Amino acid sequence: MGNDSDTAAHAISVRSLWKVYGPKPERIVDSPEANLPRKELERRFGNVVAMRDISFDVAPGEVFIVMGLSGSGKSTLVRCLTRLIEPTSGTVLIGGTDVTAADKQHLLDVRRNRVSMVFQHFGLLPHRTLIDNVAFGLEVRGNDRAQRRDKAAATLELVGLGGMGMYKPHQLSGGQQQRVGLARALATDPEILLFDEPFSALDPLIRRDMQDEVIRLRRDVNKTMVFITHDLSEALRLGDRIAIMRDGEFVQVGTPEEVVTAPADEYVANFVRDVPRSHVVPVDHVMIDPPGHEIAYCSTVASGTKIKDIVGAMARSDLPVNVVDTGGRSVGLVDRSHVLAVIAGEK
Amino acid sequence: MATTTTTTTTTTLQTPSVVSAEHPPVVEGTRKIEARRFVVPGTMILALVVVGIATGSNVPTWLDAHVRPWIDHVWSWVQIHNTSAPIFTDFLTPVGNFIGYRVDDLVSFFTILRWPGVLVLTACISWRTGGVKAVAVSVPALVGIGILGWWDLTLITISLMIVGVVLAMLIGIPLGIWTGRSDRAQQILRPILDTAQVLPTYVYLLPLVVAFGIGNSAAVVATVIYAVPPAVRLTSLGLRSVPVVSTEVGLSFGSTRGQLLSKVQLPFARRTILLGLNQVIMMAFGIVVIASLVGTGDVGNQVLQALQKNNVGLAFSAGLAIVLAAITLDRASTGERTTSRNPNAATKWSLAHPREVFAIGVAAVVIVAVVCKGAGVHSFPKSWTVDIQESVTKGSRWVTDHVRHGVPLVGGTESASDFLVRDILRPVETFLTWLPWWSIVATFGAIGWASGGTRLAVLCVICMLGLGALRDWDLAMITMTQVLIAVIISVALAIPIGIWCGRSPRVERIMRPILDTAQVMPQFVYLIPVLFLVNPGQVGGVIASVIYAIPPGIRLTSHGLREVPIAPREAATSFGATPRQELFKVQLPLAFRSIMLGINQVILMVLATVIIAALVGAGGLGLEAVYGLTKKQVGQGVAGGLSIVLLAVVLDRITQAWGSRPAREQQ
Repeated sequence: MGNDSDTAAHAISVRSLWKVYGPKPERIVDSPEANLPRKELERRFGNVVAMRDISFDVAPGEVFIVMGLSGSGKSTLVRCLTRLIEPTSGTVLIGGTDVTAADKQHLLDVRRNRVSMVFQHFGLLPHRTLIDNVAFGLEVRGNDRAQRRDKAAATLELVGLGGMGMYKPHQLSGGQQQRVGLARALATDPEILLFDEPFSALDPLIRRDMQDEVIRLRRDVNKTMVFITHDLSEALRLGDRIAIMRDGEFVQVGTPEEVVTAPADEYVANFVRDVPRSHVVPVDHVMIDPPGHEIAYCSTVASGTKIKDIVGAMARSDLPVNVVDTGGRSVGLVDRSHVLAVIAGEK
Repeated sequence: MATTTTTTTTTTLQTPSVVSAEHPPVVEGTRKIEARRFVVPGTMILALVVVGIATGSNVPTWLDAHVRPWIDHVWSWVQIHNTSAPIFTDFLTPVGNFIGYRVDDLVSFFTILRWPGVLVLTACISWRTGGVKAVAVSVPALVGIGILGWWDLTLITISLMIVGVVLAMLIGIPLGIWTGRSDRAQQILRPILDTAQVLPTYVYLLPLVVAFGIGNSAAVVATVIYAVPPAVRLTSLGLRSVPVVSTEVGLSFGSTRGQLLSKVQLPFARRTILLGLNQVIMMAFGIVVIASLVGTGDVGNQVLQALQKNNVGLAFSAGLAIVLAAITLDRASTGERTTSRNPNAATKWSLAHPREVFAIGVAAVVIVAVVCKGAGVHSFPKSWTVDIQESVTKGSRWVTDHVRHGVPLVGGTESASDFLVRDILRPVETFLTWLPWWSIVATFGAIGWASGGTRLAVLCVICMLGLGALRDWDLAMITMTQVLIAVIISVALAIPIGIWCGRSPRVERIMRPILDTAQVMPQFVYLIPVLFLVNPGQVGGVIASVIYAIPPGIRLTSHGLREVPIAPREAATSFGATPRQELFKVQLPLAFRSIMLGINQVILMVLATVIIAALVGAGGLGLEAVYGLTKKQVGQGVAGGLSIVLLAVVLDRITQAWGSRPAREQQ
């Protein structure tokens, strides 16, 4: 029972999710054959395992990143959450509703009201104006015309495209198009946003803009997000937690800090090798306990501040930095040697 | 300098061999298959020779399937029972009547509008679909019909076409939606559509005459059968080419299947479906003359009679009227409406107020019609017509006197034609009929086997035996000779021109409008120049087939060359390949499938003209089919038609196999 109430508290709860392609896929699930090498399995049974035994929970308001190279099964995973691809076995609970067991009507309800998706290549409908694109979700769920126009116009405003409602998608740049994609997902006011590599088709500068947009949105509207990407820096920038996926499996799930400082295996280690530690490791990780008496320090920072953000202060002074919690109470001290050790990659 | 060039050339040359060295098993496997390709057919031919010597060189009588007497029997049954049997009284006759009445309705609708009303109506529709540009083409074309003096008869033709096209779309679009959304439906319908597309029209004309009797309804139904496949195909293609992501967008926001269709798939497919409508119209025009074989009293019938009487002036004038009608409907149905970035105020208003625009259009047509009624205007005024028949006939006489004979060096068209008949067609024909029948069957079996394996070989043998079973062997050999010669000439002309077009944007620019027009032209138009150049006979048939078949050959070759991705071509250039090397080593191999498809189309086109070529005196199966139709020798007509189909299937499947083979080997 305790387990049930536990899952109900999660925005998304996934248990033992499998997707196997090919004939009679059920027989492969949880069988010894599933562990055969990919080529062997395809040759002998004609099956391909796209996703094996995936389980995870996402808390309300959390940004959960799924990262992996192409072909790792991450796009399959995000599509299985709303059954755009039918999973072979396993359960998906969204806000406590079992999506995998839902009938047609309930599934439509989940898709129309509770989850929205942003697509890699934007997926705007070229025959519709921006406003009608944004209103699409409202239209299929049957909101009346005036209502959905108002809502769509307001949402366009929110993503910075106010007043451009009568344009057609082809008149927009890639970044603007994806803003429309974002607005379309937000317009139905869902609890959960799914992002399928939304920015990978954009130029690096625009991509950064869009990431800022997501960070801003997250602060303003506080939605639960599942974000698929193959870009590590994007994952580290946006994610509360990151799941690293390889050959249809989660290799590691953890905070950006955990993934960078304690990679689960060589694969992940290779991935994160070039990430500067100081960008992900917070001061909490290296600080020493406060001595209990007043000492001199050069500045005060909040707990959770990244190491790179105190490098400047340390360069200007020989004194340590004071770390305080949200109540303003000192919880530790960081000095030069700690910071340099992290930058040198020793910690 | 010279050394550098040689080195780079060798590098490019070596690349393929390096690739194949990496996969030795594949190469060996292919070699084994190559060897089997020749051993097995060899033994098969040997076996057949033994059987053949035992049975003699003529088609044996036991092969006769007695198709003709059986069909004649059915025909006489129909003649007796077509007013009493339930299939006629409860189904075919009502359907036929319904269609016939709709055609009559349209004709009288046009009569009520009077000719200025029809012009205004056409102008309104073309403006809606293609803007001012479309009006500027469709209205003068329509006026041209009037000036030629064919107004009334052409409007009958247009009415027939419209009823046929509407029915074809009504049947085709739902079927297309079905096949576009369900793989199973696609599997079921595809072979049927394939067959319908290969089937020459006249094959189902006769059964239609049996079912509906002679008249408009049979012609309309023939049009529908002919025109439904492209409607289905293009609708289905449109739905299937909707990007996956758009479908996912639809589904992810909770669309039902119906919403997905109406809000995502159909809007996406709209353009392709309209293209389908255009194709349907053009196909309908393509058969207008053939349909008049079943006795509609329209302008197509005039062309037919003129062709049969070798009356150049009449054929030209009536043919021109049909072409003008085709142009009118083409423009009115799918003019490219360009959405300019800065529409002027009038366009903006008309886009924003579709209902008002519609009302204005209707009002304009009604007003014109009422005014004309008051003024007593009926048909296109006689005094405005210009009779071009006389001058065309004169021109043709001049051609007869000056071009057919006695041209220095070349010798004139008639002399060339004599040469073609005497020294090429006759000898090949004699050779083919002299060969024992079974050796030809065996040869086609072997070609089929080498091209596409056992299944194709069996299909080829069965079809060839079918020719014998229909007692059409000798006629089939005559037709085959013409088809082979026409195909060889067409391919020899089309591929070089296609390559030229594919490589030179300037040539492409010149050729494109010519090819586009050629595609819109109904088949019989190609017969008219033939009447100028040569006397009725086999060569006329060959020339008509060649003219008809060349455009798709050119089009597909140049299309294939232009579709070759830029990357391998740039790679070749960067390795120092000359344009010639680039053509032979990169572009042509990569365009191979498209060119093969072009050859396949050429063969189908040539076969499609077999019957129409018979109208200008080409003999063979076409003549048998036409004779059967016009003289109501139903058994004979059906047998001739079926034989053409059998030939078509054999040649089509073999060339299709050529086109798909490299794909298989690459895997």
